[in-house]
Amino acid sequence: MDFLYKYRKVIFVVILLLCVAAGIYSVNRTNPTFAENTFGFVITPVQGFITNVSSWFGSKFNVITHISEIEEENKTLKVQLAAKEEEIHRLNLISDENEKLTKLLSTSTKYSDYPKLTANIIAKDPGNWYNLFTIDKGTNDGIEKNMAVISSGGLVGRVMECGFNYSKVISIIDDTDSVSAKSIRTDDIGFVKGDLSKRGTCRMEYIDNDAEIIEGDEIITSHLSEIYPPGITIGYVTDVEDDKSSLSKYASIETAVDFKHLETVFVITEKFEKNYTEE
Amino acid sequence: MRYIIITITLIFNLILQSTLFEYISIIDVKPNSAIVIIISMAFMRGKTEGAVTGLIAGLLQDCFFAPYIGFYTFCYILVGYFCGMFFRGFYKETIITPLLLTAAFDLIFEFVYYVFNILLKGYVDFGFFLKSVILPEVVYTTLISAIIYKILYYINSLLEEREKFSQKLF
Repeated sequence: MDFLYKYRKVIFVVILLLCVAAGIYSVNRTNPTFAENTFGFVITPVQGFITNVSSWFGSKFNVITHISEIEEENKTLKVQLAAKEEEIHRLNLISDENEKLTKLLSTSTKYSDYPKLTANIIAKDPGNWYNLFTIDKGTNDGIEKNMAVISSGGLVGRVMECGFNYSKVISIIDDTDSVSAKSIRTDDIGFVKGDLSKRGTCRMEYIDNDAEIIEGDEIITSHLSEIYPPGITIGYVTDVEDDKSSLSKYASIETAVDFKHLETVFVITEKFEKNYTEE
Repeated sequence: MRYIIITITLIFNLILQSTLFEYISIIDVKPNSAIVIIISMAFMRGKTEGAVTGLIAGLLQDCFFAPYIGFYTFCYILVGYFCGMFFRGFYKETIITPLLLTAAFDLIFEFVYYVFNILLKGYVDFGFFLKSVILPEVVYTTLISAIIYKILYYINSLLEEREKFSQKLF
C-alpha cells in the first residue's frame, strides 16, 4: 500500500494515458468485454426493477393530475378509432386486390412482416448529451449487434452492443449514427442523423439540389441501407433548407416515434447487414 | 473498507442515475450526481481519494453508458484530483464551499465535454448549448449536491470514527 501511495502521481498519469489509449482502441469495438458483460449481468435486473417501480408511480401520478385531459382524449380517440376502422376495412380491400395483382405479376411482396421480439427499456444514459438506452434482452434471446429496433410509430435505432441479458441501443436522434433514408413520395435519397441543435429531432442531409422534397413528406429507410431493413417509417419533414457549403439540401425531420415516452420497443430479429467484402 | 463503501455508493448512484433520474428531469436535463460524489469525496479526503473515486466512477459509467471507453474516466480523475487541492483550509461542516466547487467543476467538465464531443463535430453554436444543456445541468446539479453532500458527510464521519479505532491513532 505504501508503494501505491508513494508513486500515486505516476500511477494516475499512467491511468490517464491508458484512458486515451482505451478510447482510441474501443471506438469500433464489436462486443462488450468479459468484465462489462458480468457487470451488466448483475446490474440489469436491479435497473429493470427500479424502472418498473418508478414508471408505475409515474403513470399513477399522471392519471391523477391529468384526469380531465384523459377524458377529453378518450372522446377524441373514440371518434378517431371509428374513422380508422373504416379505413382499415377499405385498406383490407385494397390489400386483397393488391395481392391478386401481385400474383398476376408474379413478384414477391418486398415489405413483408419482419420477425419481432418485444423488449422493455430499463435504463437510459445518465448524461444529457447522448441518446443511448439499455433494453432487457440480450444474446440469450437471440439478439445480435446491428439489429434494427422499432416501435409502434417507426424506427427507433439499432443494437450497438449486446451482453448476455442486456443490449445497448443507439437511437436515431443521436448524432453519431446515421441512417440511409428516402422520401416515400419522390424517392429522393439522403442520410438521416440526429440534430444536436434541435434536441429530439433529426436532420436529413445530402439531399440532391434538384430534389422535390417538401414539408410533410414521409421519410422511410431506403433499400440502400447496410443495416436497416427497407420501408420503415423514420419521420416527417418539417422544414427544407439549402446547405450553402455543399450544394445540397437538408431537411429537418420530426421523428415518428415519441422518444420522450418510449417504454417498449421491438427488435427485428433478422439481420439485414450486407457484406460487400469478397470472401 | 473505505473504497468498498465508495464503490457500492457509486454503483447505487449509477443505477439511480440511469433509471429514476429520468422521472425527475427538468426541461430534459438530468443532474450529474456522479460528479457530486467525486467532488464531495475529494473535498473531504484530499487529492488521492478524489482521484481514486473519480477513477471508479468514470470506469463504471464508461463501461455501461458510453460509445467508447475512457472519456469519463479521464475527466473524472482530473476533477477528483484538482478538487482535492481544496482539501486544506476549508471547514468541512459548511455546505457553501462544496456547492461552489460543484458548480465550478461541473461547468468546467461540461465545457470540456462540449469541446471534445460536440464542437469537434462542427456544432459551433456554443450559446445555444450553454443555454439549453450546460447551465440548466449545472444549476440542477448544484441544488442536489446540497443533499448528497450531507449524506456523504455523514457516511464519511462514520468511516473516520471507525478508522480512528482500528488504527489506534489517538
